[in-house]
Amino acid sequence: MPMTSVQKDTKSAATGLTMKVESKLALVEKKDSLNRHCAIIKAEGFSFYYGSKVGVKDITMDVNQCSVTAIIGPSGCGKSTFLRSMNRMNDLIPHTRAEGKLIVDNQDIYDKRVNLVNLRQQVGMVFQKPNPFPKSIFDNVAYGPRLQGTKKRSELQQIVEQSLDAAALWKEIKDDLKKSALALSGGQQQRLCIARALATKPRVLLMDEPCSALDPIATGRIEDLIEELKSTYTIVIVTHNMQQAARVSERAAFFCLGELIEYDLTSKIFGNPGKKQTEDYITGRFG
Amino acid sequence: MKIVIRNTFDKAFTILTALSVIFISLVLLGILGPMIWRGSGAVIFKGTVEFRKMQMDLFERGNQDVLQNEIVETDTVRKTIFETINRFKKGIDTEALCDRVRDIHREFGQELRLKGITGQEYSRLRSITRDIRDKLEVTFESQDKKEITKNIEYVLQFKKDERFKATCAEELFQIALGFQKDIAKIDLNKRKQYEEDLIQIEQTLFGSGEIPGLLGPHPDKPLPALAMNRFGATRWDQSLKLLDKLLWIEEWVEKEPGKPLEKVRTSRKEKFAGTDLEPLFSSVQDNLEKILKPRLTIYWQFFIDDNFNSHYFGGVGPEILGTLLITFLGMLFAVPLGLISAAYLVECASDHFIFRMIRMCINTLAGVPSIVFGLFGLSFFVLFLFPLFGMPSKGCILAASMTLAILTLPVMIRASEEAIRTVPQTYKEASLALGASGFRTFVTVTLPAALPGILTGIILSLSRIAGETAPILFAGAVAMGPIPKSLFDPTRTLSYGSYDMAVGDRISMMVPHNQYGMVVTLVILVLCLNALAIGLRSRVFKRLKGH
Repeated sequence: MPMTSVQKDTKSAATGLTMKVESKLALVEKKDSLNRHCAIIKAEGFSFYYGSKVGVKDITMDVNQCSVTAIIGPSGCGKSTFLRSMNRMNDLIPHTRAEGKLIVDNQDIYDKRVNLVNLRQQVGMVFQKPNPFPKSIFDNVAYGPRLQGTKKRSELQQIVEQSLDAAALWKEIKDDLKKSALALSGGQQQRLCIARALATKPRVLLMDEPCSALDPIATGRIEDLIEELKSTYTIVIVTHNMQQAARVSERAAFFCLGELIEYDLTSKIFGNPGKKQTEDYITGRFG
Repeated sequence: MKIVIRNTFDKAFTILTALSVIFISLVLLGILGPMIWRGSGAVIFKGTVEFRKMQMDLFERGNQDVLQNEIVETDTVRKTIFETINRFKKGIDTEALCDRVRDIHREFGQELRLKGITGQEYSRLRSITRDIRDKLEVTFESQDKKEITKNIEYVLQFKKDERFKATCAEELFQIALGFQKDIAKIDLNKRKQYEEDLIQIEQTLFGSGEIPGLLGPHPDKPLPALAMNRFGATRWDQSLKLLDKLLWIEEWVEKEPGKPLEKVRTSRKEKFAGTDLEPLFSSVQDNLEKILKPRLTIYWQFFIDDNFNSHYFGGVGPEILGTLLITFLGMLFAVPLGLISAAYLVECASDHFIFRMIRMCINTLAGVPSIVFGLFGLSFFVLFLFPLFGMPSKGCILAASMTLAILTLPVMIRASEEAIRTVPQTYKEASLALGASGFRTFVTVTLPAALPGILTGIILSLSRIAGETAPILFAGAVAMGPIPKSLFDPTRTLSYGSYDMAVGDRISMMVPHNQYGMVVTLVILVLCLNALAIGLRSRVFKRLKGH
């Protein structure tokens, strides 16, 4: 089977990475085992159905606290479904059904008693396309805190500044807080969306292909940001870009046809995958 | 296909589209242009001194002293006209003379009794005056000059009689002499015709009960009851028309049997040639400007004034007020209702059969003729709902605006539905992901983003209901009536007023400028409302786009 140039690139990148990562492997493994004890998201036999169609099936995996977990896999494999299940954004679609357990912060989020508002403030989300509201930058970031009931201008000001600072955007736009968010560039908009998600002080940040609509420079910035944020937040990122997954994540999950094929340290997934399917995918032979 | 052909097609298409746009603009210009031109005549025109008199009398507007001077100036010119007519009338209007003669005969009898003259002397004198009376009556009706002269001579023989000296009977001889003088220049055979013409001339100059004249009512006559009859030609174009009517007799004559009648104009001046009345025509014609003093007038108060006598005088102030009131009140009902319905249909309603039916019903409702809504408004609001709540069962502003709201609801719902539907799903997702409830998301994110589309709906609804006539026909519009004091009073509106003036009102036919003025006011009002909404929309749009 002839390789396309993209496949070649992917493969060389993956092998190159393997070399680099291997030396750090011991250190990473040690840290990982420490983190394992405080898994913040636990899926136990979790399945999700769109009517009769299977979204994801029988997923069991833990997401470590204060780390970056990447979910990779071919299109339509259920990556996004699983990610959106974590803050129940899938509820918007009619005729859906969840089975099994999905525990976030010691609470089964598909329990009937769960407070969606609290859940979604605990589990923030950044979408594929930058989607700031057609409001001012300030109002965008202050949207979450206002929902939580913060009304004082000074408090809001403080939260907005902190969030924008955390999203590495404060320096660029501190004078334009009243300008419309839609006037920003794509990369800035995405970082604004991250700042908006951070403003509700979540514990988990879900990112659904956050860089797919951005140019390489903006992508770089977002990746740097993810690197900084992971010390405070637990980040789950869905990505099609395998270099990105390799660069930013500590653990990686490979999904295929709604099933979790392999879940392990990123270095292992890319360096020495345990399953044939995974190897085929990351080397570009499949998918 | 060859590239040359393709380019040609492209160009042809461009030209075609450009032409169609030009065509539409021309049609629009062709419709609106003449209408606005005519309608502007209600505001900008040459107003005469009569107009200023009317403004002073009816609206207490203008400078009293200046006006008084003008009236004095014009009256000096008018005086000669009055005199000419009076002089001529004496010889023609014999009925008045007959009456006078009869009166004198009666008065003379009373006078004699007062003097204590009775018996034979009394009856002798009475028989003389009776004789004179009868002779004069015959004389006044006679067409034979010889007979007239004979009769008058017979009457005058008693003039020297001492018994008539210093009594009212002396007037009889004066009348006889005067009549002789008056008819000297008149062809007696034409007297009947003159009489008819004179009525027309007087109507043209002083107005009849139906049509105001050129100069206003005759100063000797009592002031007419209707305001429109109290003034002469208030507008220069009107006075020119009346002048034409004065100078020319228009008749429809059958020139050949079986052919349609033809209009024939004959000059009155020629008809009256040689009579005392002849100088009247040229003096009116030459002095028309001095008589009426036309001046360019900008009557902007047209937009605030109330009217007199079915819009003969005055403006459309209450109509504008009523239209605005009904429109805004209607929107006040329609916008929230439409928005909530649209929100439900987009956000909550599923694709269930019932909702599909509801959508279909809404679309159908948009095509229902407006008169049906009018009847619905009458039967539901006025006849059913209001009495149910103990309110008077009559057409009123509230009922009218509610009817209009229902009329425009389908438009409002459709436009809002489209607007809400086109708000990107990502906005809603972002808000929901931040923990907002569905309602909060709708109010704080979806609604502001959908605002331009909703405003488009509002613009469409606004222009529709501001101009609707049929729905308010029975629900609360009147052609005449007081300015409403509460929402439970009926009101006048521009649309209904235009309709009313267009259908068979005799007076409104005489004031086409006011008719057009009202229609143009409606058009301008709708344009202004639209401009307002469009301005608002572009501002919202800019804010949303962040420019």
